[in-house]
Amino acid sequence: MSAMTEDEMKASVQDGHIVESVEEMTPGYRKALVVQLTVQADTELISAPAYWMAARHAPSTNTQVSAHAIIQDELAHANIAYRLLEDLGESRQELVYERPPEKFKHPYGFDQPLDNWAELVVANGFYDRAGITLLSDVHRNTSYGPLKRALVKIDMEETFHLRHGEVWMRRLAKAGGDAREMLQRAVDWMFPMTIEWFGLPDELKRHSGQLEYRLKGMTNDELRQAWMAATVPLCESIGIEVPAHLDEATGRFELEYPFPCRYDAGAKHWLFDEGEISWEEVFERWKGRGPMNEIYVESLRRSRAEVAAWLN
Amino acid sequence: MEEIVFDVFARKNRGEPLTHIGYLSAPDREMARVYAWTTYDEENWFEMCIVPRSEIHLVNRTDGPFAGRGAG
Repeated sequence: MSAMTEDEMKASVQDGHIVESVEEMTPGYRKALVVQLTVQADTELISAPAYWMAARHAPSTNTQVSAHAIIQDELAHANIAYRLLEDLGESRQELVYERPPEKFKHPYGFDQPLDNWAELVVANGFYDRAGITLLSDVHRNTSYGPLKRALVKIDMEETFHLRHGEVWMRRLAKAGGDAREMLQRAVDWMFPMTIEWFGLPDELKRHSGQLEYRLKGMTNDELRQAWMAATVPLCESIGIEVPAHLDEATGRFELEYPFPCRYDAGAKHWLFDEGEISWEEVFERWKGRGPMNEIYVESLRRSRAEVAAWLN
Repeated sequence: MEEIVFDVFARKNRGEPLTHIGYLSAPDREMARVYAWTTYDEENWFEMCIVPRSEIHLVNRTDGPFAGRGAG
């Protein structure tokens, strides 16, 4: 561990110092980095079973290939992030195979079932856009050298996932009829889900270690705005409604529903009518995890013990 | 299962330098070759190779990124 104080560490990375190994970190820096990487690794990992179970809805062998190529990328990204965590002294065995499923740190949105092709392509369009928004900010700003280098590959591939999602959203919208209706239904629950993913608004956010240690550069609200700046115009251009618009006067995107609000996971429906709720209530819902949490985690563990027994 | 850390190097085209692109854990060299090829598939590499981390020897410092658990 570094002999620096936390304040010296913060000043050093704010000054542009790039950290290369765990020996150079203060405990506070290491802890903030472990949390950030765990969220990243878990999100990439759990997106794989979520996309994999949805990929059976692919309409052709070509689209099966694209859907599975995306899943393969996500698993590789997860692997790389867990490897980075191992360098910091964390155990991949414990993180992937031994943690109770509800202890995973991926966003609540990834604990929901993706039930048809429209939902899978909106996941690629919305969630992977959120992923790029978050990770490209980390790539530009992180003070941790190994993560910066690992993100070259990850950013490149996430761009392809996003393109797949957006191209298909345009196709479904253009087709009209049932295709368009399915797309709109998917957007109706997945748009607010992604908005919520970016977390507490800046006015409520306590000190952010991730900003102070220069593990990222943008605040939650800035990231949420960046995501909307790409997503809202896309949806408008294909005639799909989203509950947000650009306020020309301020240049900011404004939500047209109470935020945050309640969600009925069984019905995949946001309860806008019940009005704004507290973030404590949101955190409680997140902590309880979503309907697919255990199923997704168990799907990644199913055969591990059995095969290990054959090999020994 | 005991795993070994391998560093992965590749060059995109003829005439370009071999670059460190990442690393992985694998039970042995043959599995490491497969993992490297499937994990780091973001480019059509002209050349890719793997080196066990334990075979990378530091020359000018003892605390660099390749030292111990440090990340390449």
